[in-house]
Amino acid sequence: MAAMARIDRTARVRRWDPLLRWARQSGVVLAAYLCAVAAWQGASLAFHIPGFLLPSPAAIAERAGGGLPQILAHTLITLGEVLEGFLLGAVVSIPLGILVVYSRLLERLVYPFLVAFQAIPKVALAPILVVWFGFGPASKVMLAFVTAMFPIIVNTVIGMKQTPPELVYLMRSLEASELQIFLKIRLYAAAPYVFAGFKIGITLAVVGAIVGEFIASNGGLGYLLLAANNNIDTPLLFAIVAVLSLLSITLYYAVEAIEGILLPRPLRSKTARIEQRIRP
Amino acid sequence: MSRRAADRALDRDAAAGASPPVTVEVEGVSMAYRLDTGETLRALDRVDLRVPAGHFCSIVGPSGCGKSTLLMLIAGLYRPLSGQILIAGRPVAGPWHGIGMVFQRDVLLDWRTVLENVLLPVEVKRLPEARYRSRALALLERVGLGEFVGAFPDQLSGCMRQRAALCRALVHDPALLLMDEPFAAVDALTREKLNVDLLRLTTEAPKTVVFVTHSIEEAVLLADQVVVMGPRPGTVLRAFPVDLPRPRGLATRGEARFHELVDEVRAVFHTMGLL
Repeated sequence: MAAMARIDRTARVRRWDPLLRWARQSGVVLAAYLCAVAAWQGASLAFHIPGFLLPSPAAIAERAGGGLPQILAHTLITLGEVLEGFLLGAVVSIPLGILVVYSRLLERLVYPFLVAFQAIPKVALAPILVVWFGFGPASKVMLAFVTAMFPIIVNTVIGMKQTPPELVYLMRSLEASELQIFLKIRLYAAAPYVFAGFKIGITLAVVGAIVGEFIASNGGLGYLLLAANNNIDTPLLFAIVAVLSLLSITLYYAVEAIEGILLPRPLRSKTARIEQRIRP
Repeated sequence: MSRRAADRALDRDAAAGASPPVTVEVEGVSMAYRLDTGETLRALDRVDLRVPAGHFCSIVGPSGCGKSTLLMLIAGLYRPLSGQILIAGRPVAGPWHGIGMVFQRDVLLDWRTVLENVLLPVEVKRLPEARYRSRALALLERVGLGEFVGAFPDQLSGCMRQRAALCRALVHDPALLLMDEPFAAVDALTREKLNVDLLRLTTEAPKTVVFVTHSIEEAVLLADQVVVMGPRPGTVLRAFPVDLPRPRGLATRGEARFHELVDEVRAVFHTMGLL
């Protein structure tokens, strides 16, 4: 009787086990974060830390709440620049990457330029881009574009070279045209790498847009950061940084969601593996 | 599809006699590669070989003797430096239309299901899909993959993957099957299973097969003719007709004649100082 009761209980525990484990783990994480915020708030109050040096979480939240329409408006400007720059980067980089793989001449022609270009800190291009494209969003779009471009090109090139030679031989033995080999094989084999490049590219596009706004602008979160800095509005600075973090994370997962829709399941798990390899 | 339905579908194809096997003739073929260093590497030196229609020819030889190169030349994927290759009496210039290929790596497409993988040649050659779909299903059923037609390759074991690759090579009913160490990457037990699969499939629908392998036992078990190649630059040292009765199976390995033949082939390696 006692033994049966024990078995019964184990079974029940096992059924709830994954859920319990998840709740326990995320609960621990959440509690740790809440403790850290509470400690921050407590320290601010206890040691009378001046708000312009380190504002308390409550002060940041209050400032963010008060300035919400303003923050949102500038977020939309930055978001627009990031998306345009990223899309431009994708549209230019993928064909370029494909051409580099298919043409030895182009590879030798383009690669030194790419390497030299990547060696430039993109910030250094900002003044030139402002001269060319003006103070408006266009120069920020261009900076986001040049920053996002490189990882997408490199990953496209690597991806296009992933097709095993046997597969190319197999296709040729079936009298497949180069176009068929490209459309049925190479494109798919490259897709996980291209998406890994997208994910790096979209977060870099945010960096590009913000840096562009730093240099010369009249709108966007980078502009708002500088304005808050001039007013020694440190709570707003913290609020904007939090929004930027949220923006980058959202964009990253948006790319991942699109990948989930476009790629068949086995290729998706491959992207995860590639990213693990890329991460330091 | 049930086993019986699969048999019927394959019998129907066999009766239709879609593509009768062809003769392959290799005449004085030499081949060299230009290396990156600018040197030339002689891979094959005046190779002569004749595989009659419907015969199974195993090629054995040490690593780097040009076995794979020879296969690529027959497939029309490389061009010989000199000499010529004839398929069904016509010189090869580019891939011939009735070829099926299997490599050491299965190279299945990860993003396609097993059935979609097997149908790749049908798609590439723009053959009527409805008809070949039932053939693909029948082949998969035949090699025990009937339940896995909708699975992705990463859900399959190495043995099952290579079976799927075999089905892909056979789906368009090629007259000539070219196999480059297809079972070298699988374990010994799996290899025996795959050998039996291949024996059954090639007995049911006779094809001309050129089969490159490192295993003398495998070469003898499967073939009508075993060709021994010498080290680089590759030449044909000897060709042994294999007179073991068909149908063969794993029991064939127990026959005295089997061991005689294996020893004869091995003796060539010994005299070459390769063993």
